[in-house]
Amino acid sequence: MNNIVSLMALFYESTDTAEAIDELHNIGIPDDNVVVLTGVPYPKGALGRQLEWLALPYIVLAGALTGMLFGLFLAVITPHLYRLDIGGHPQVGFPPAAVIIFVFTMMAIIVSTFLGVLWEMNFPRYGPAPYHKLVTDGYLALLLEYPATMDVQVHQTLESHNALHIGEPERMAL
Amino acid sequence: MSEATTNQPQQEAHSDQISEYDERLLLAERKDWEINQAVLQPMFKTGPGFWVLVAILSSVVIWGLYAWGYLINWGMGTTGKNRPVYWALFITTFVFWVGISHAGTMISAVLRLLKADWRRPITRGAEAMTAFALMMAGLYPLIHLGRVWKFYWMIPYPNNRYMWPNFQSPLMWDLVAIFTYLIGSTLYLYLALIPDMAMARDHTSGWRFKLYRGFALGWRGTEAEWHKLHRALGIFSIAIIPIFLSVHSIVSWDFAVTIQPRWHSTIFAPYFVIGAVYSGLAALASILVIVRRSMRLQEFLRAEHFDSLGKLVLVAGMAWVYFWFAGFIVEWYGNEPVVRELIREEVSGRMAPLFYLQMGANTIPIALLVFKRIRTSPGLLLATTLLINIGMFTERALIVIGSLQRNDLPFNWGNYSPTWVEISIVAMTFAGFALLYTIFSRIIPFVPVWEIKEGRLRYTMRRIGRLLVPTAAEIE
Repeated sequence: MNNIVSLMALFYESTDTAEAIDELHNIGIPDDNVVVLTGVPYPKGALGRQLEWLALPYIVLAGALTGMLFGLFLAVITPHLYRLDIGGHPQVGFPPAAVIIFVFTMMAIIVSTFLGVLWEMNFPRYGPAPYHKLVTDGYLALLLEYPATMDVQVHQTLESHNALHIGEPERMAL
Repeated sequence: MSEATTNQPQQEAHSDQISEYDERLLLAERKDWEINQAVLQPMFKTGPGFWVLVAILSSVVIWGLYAWGYLINWGMGTTGKNRPVYWALFITTFVFWVGISHAGTMISAVLRLLKADWRRPITRGAEAMTAFALMMAGLYPLIHLGRVWKFYWMIPYPNNRYMWPNFQSPLMWDLVAIFTYLIGSTLYLYLALIPDMAMARDHTSGWRFKLYRGFALGWRGTEAEWHKLHRALGIFSIAIIPIFLSVHSIVSWDFAVTIQPRWHSTIFAPYFVIGAVYSGLAALASILVIVRRSMRLQEFLRAEHFDSLGKLVLVAGMAWVYFWFAGFIVEWYGNEPVVRELIREEVSGRMAPLFYLQMGANTIPIALLVFKRIRTSPGLLLATTLLINIGMFTERALIVIGSLQRNDLPFNWGNYSPTWVEISIVAMTFAGFALLYTIFSRIIPFVPVWEIKEGRLRYTMRRIGRLLVPTAAEIE
């Protein structure tokens, strides 16, 4: 839609960024239309934004359950399919089964955490996206989307909080 | 005397303290782009020394591959292994490498959970060490198979031979556990690397840009990305600790579940784990000293980091002595004939030189590391930690080879000495590890830049009485 404007502003101070975000909210730009890019992980709530809900713990839990069932299958079911009598031990002993089930559960937790976080972050994503290389040099980039009618007001707000390089975001192939 | 004049010396003292702390708190006064450059620039400089080192290490690796090919062609008879010493230098080195791999998790996961800030500049070096050491360890079961092309028989899949891996065997647990730890430590290393790959992507061109762009996966540093990364690293940190404990426990059960004298012991699992931590931390300290000097990372790897690492090595060393003695006293008191013979062999027999080397190389460093001067002087720390790993390698040799030479059947006693094939293959893995690490340090940012920058956010100065002291904010 033509009446929606995309804008990027760079800040050097996190305090300026947080204050600018608060003021942008006050003039009517919703939280969903504001994205902050930083080169450092700021503490929760430092930039005045709400955190997204995560499915990761559930993905990990599902992974752990799958790994446990697979380990159970290998340690408890397959010895009956491929019988091997050793040292007077029963076909399925608790200690060996516990080791196998544990290891496969942990393997599944690790793999599901990795795949889960990539899925949550929508990675890999190499296409063009709004970005500025100064982000990794310590600048904070504020990405905004707002109706064109608010353009002057947004510019004034950003400038009043020492924003630099206010302009249309460059879409870079990441 | 005016008040201003009275306060002047105090203010000067405070400004001295501030500048000292600024330095200690890792470049608090430096801009982010300066830190980026301080880490990236050494990666781009590869002088003649670097290429000479790569050439030497590559030559050793190629020679080791030739020896492995020779072993595959002519069979296991080319090694010194024979009845009753069926596990020899290969398994000794395998246990050693698995042990070395334990420092990465200790530093990265345990210290991350404990929020120990001094870990920040050294985590990546430790994680890389874990991954490369496990790669080297993973070669030994393959080498030890002899007929390496039959490796796939260990993978459980339905087949017309009606063969299936024996999941009751600790050797099978080993395979699965080491594979799990290798996957876990590699993914852990990679996950924490993504923001630094993006940083490197933003500051490079040519093949490096393509490489870093590929690894960065499109990272932009949005709040959501940071939040998810933190959550994933938190889960990894918790999950990888039991894996790290289980891996060396399982390696120890390879030995302990047999009825071989001196192996059949309940203390083997914690004894192996603590030995692994001891040797791994010592190896990490050695590597950090070398990398610090070769890549001029003195700003990041500072005396206080070596001091803290040295203290950890010291504690692990004391715990190792405790576990060793706890095992030894029970065996000595039991006075079983074969065990008595094995102890006699160690203390005053053929193995005595190795035994005293082990004891000296493992205990003298403990006495040395008590002194701060040893812990904070890179050269002395390097010498001390190298000594520890000589001791730990000898300890593995005594456990594996020393114990196998005597058993419950005296007619079946025998001795072992390695052949050129075994020595070459073992040298190959040492050179391979060093080669991987050398190349890694020039391609991947050795210091986790984003973690250092994050650490700087946590600190502030606070006045307590006459002093200005740095205090860390409890932030997530």
